[in-house]
Amino acid sequence: MSNATAPPAAPTPPASRSIPWSDLRLVGRQVRYEQLAFWLNPIGAIFTLGFSVVFLVLLGASAGSSRVSFLGHIKLIQYYVPGFVAYGIMAACFNVLAITLVNRREMGLLKRLRLSPLPTWALLAAIFISTLILAFIQVVVLLAIGVWGFGVHLPADFAPFVVAVVIGALSFTALGVAMSTLIPNQDAAGPVTSIVFFVLLFLSGLWFPLQSGSGLAQFSSWFPVRHFITAVFTPFDVRPGVSPWAWHDLAVVALWGVIGCIVAVRRFRWTPRRV
Amino acid sequence: MPAVSVAHLAKSYGTIHAVRDVGFEVERGEVFALLGPNGAGKTTTIEILEGFRPRDAGEVDVLGFDPGDRRTQRRLRSRLGIVLQELAVEPFFSVRQVLSRSAGLYPNARPVDEVIGLVGLSEKSDARVKTLSGGQQRRLDVGLGIIGNPDLLFLDEPTTGLDPSGRRASWDLVRQLADEGTTVILTTHYMDEVEALADQVAVLADGKIVASGTPSSIGGRDVGTATIRFRLPDDVSADDLPVPSRSASGGEMEIRTEQELPVLHALIDWALGRGIELPGLTVNRVTLEDVYLRLTKSPDAETEREVS
Repeated sequence: MSNATAPPAAPTPPASRSIPWSDLRLVGRQVRYEQLAFWLNPIGAIFTLGFSVVFLVLLGASAGSSRVSFLGHIKLIQYYVPGFVAYGIMAACFNVLAITLVNRREMGLLKRLRLSPLPTWALLAAIFISTLILAFIQVVVLLAIGVWGFGVHLPADFAPFVVAVVIGALSFTALGVAMSTLIPNQDAAGPVTSIVFFVLLFLSGLWFPLQSGSGLAQFSSWFPVRHFITAVFTPFDVRPGVSPWAWHDLAVVALWGVIGCIVAVRRFRWTPRRV
Repeated sequence: MPAVSVAHLAKSYGTIHAVRDVGFEVERGEVFALLGPNGAGKTTTIEILEGFRPRDAGEVDVLGFDPGDRRTQRRLRSRLGIVLQELAVEPFFSVRQVLSRSAGLYPNARPVDEVIGLVGLSEKSDARVKTLSGGQQRRLDVGLGIIGNPDLLFLDEPTTGLDPSGRRASWDLVRQLADEGTTVILTTHYMDEVEALADQVAVLADGKIVASGTPSSIGGRDVGTATIRFRLPDDVSADDLPVPSRSASGGEMEIRTEQELPVLHALIDWALGRGIELPGLTVNRVTLEDVYLRLTKSPDAETEREVS
């Protein structure tokens, strides 16, 4: 206690007293709490991190050395590693975030936190930072497996890759929040999000590269998933003369991110949607 | 200065007047019960006091702050405790982790172990939330409400789902907090809870306060008709009674009177003189539940109109 002259058992502090801890430390504490909340739930952790690792290893081991004719006969693993990096980011930022937000909203946890002295911006910042940490962990793990497990060639210039990852993470975070506002209740959160997510993944060529111009490629070009996969893959595209910057794809992803932001800001709510 | 004062409070959702011209005051250290059917405006009123919802009109003062003022909202919230109806806790955390986390949000928090003891969860302090029983989760909820050492505590149906001993324990805790000077605003559907805890009561119906006062006087409870009931032995005829009576359910006799002392005197004199017992003799004023049901009887019978 800094105030030594105060009576020892003052029952109520004066109303003018300010909050004594710094806001950044507060955000740090919340990020730690968010991480704990994620890792204490084994199913969530396995589904997000484990899924991308397991699939990359299985696909890499079974089909990684086959060559893709329309990509200049590069090895398939050279496509899978950036593909699953994109998957990992989308899983953390879109899938997990949307489900977490719906669960917390319907449980009343968002309302409780909103009613606590924790400032709203600190709560949201902690959630987003924690989401980005999960995405970052996935990127590192998947790249490590790719390089040491399968001899994947890393991009000579890392900048296009980092830009793609950052734009994707931000856009899919916005889309994750937007998605959470469209889901009415906890029971629907897992199934609805996963169906949307996995159908788009399937159509967008995560498991097999799409030949541009094909019907599937045209259909999936309306959605951000394929563009994000392409944008992350392009720096890994070892064909000579290919630019590592996929500006067109990044623009589409960013546009979806903006749409996500608009929906999220307009529709976000703190209270359960129960009737 | 009262802890809470509200005057001419109004809030509409579209064309629905959720709350209109509501006013009341809550003194420091008082337990104030806000009653009313679902959709009467309780939740709206409380959410306005908590600063969760803006108001359309009226003056509101909570602990010297305007809860609608965003600049002071954080300072106000660090002095409020809120127990919501739902258990809003991450299921994979332990009791201690949940309380420690919340304690970190308040500048003046109570020690975590003290709170665990107060709500009777010492045995369960390292158990994960999802393994707790419904009643234990409810108690954890109350613990989260008081962890910040609040000056004003909102309790939204705090004993719903608790067994009788759990309810008594919760009541004791609320009384203890009130004795320490915490102001409590309570909503509940249990009238015995109101009689056990509340110093003041206000009844909301259709967005308006229809009655307020102490639990023993609200709605004219202290002046109305008393009901005397008893059973007569089989060989005694009701026609022999010294006062007019009528048969009620369960083979009992019933006397309604506004002067229960003279009537009782006559009745007991008569019974003693004849040497007969009057089994099951009770004297009741109108119950709080009777008053509540009469006050909240709505002509258009809108029972569910919770707007959020």
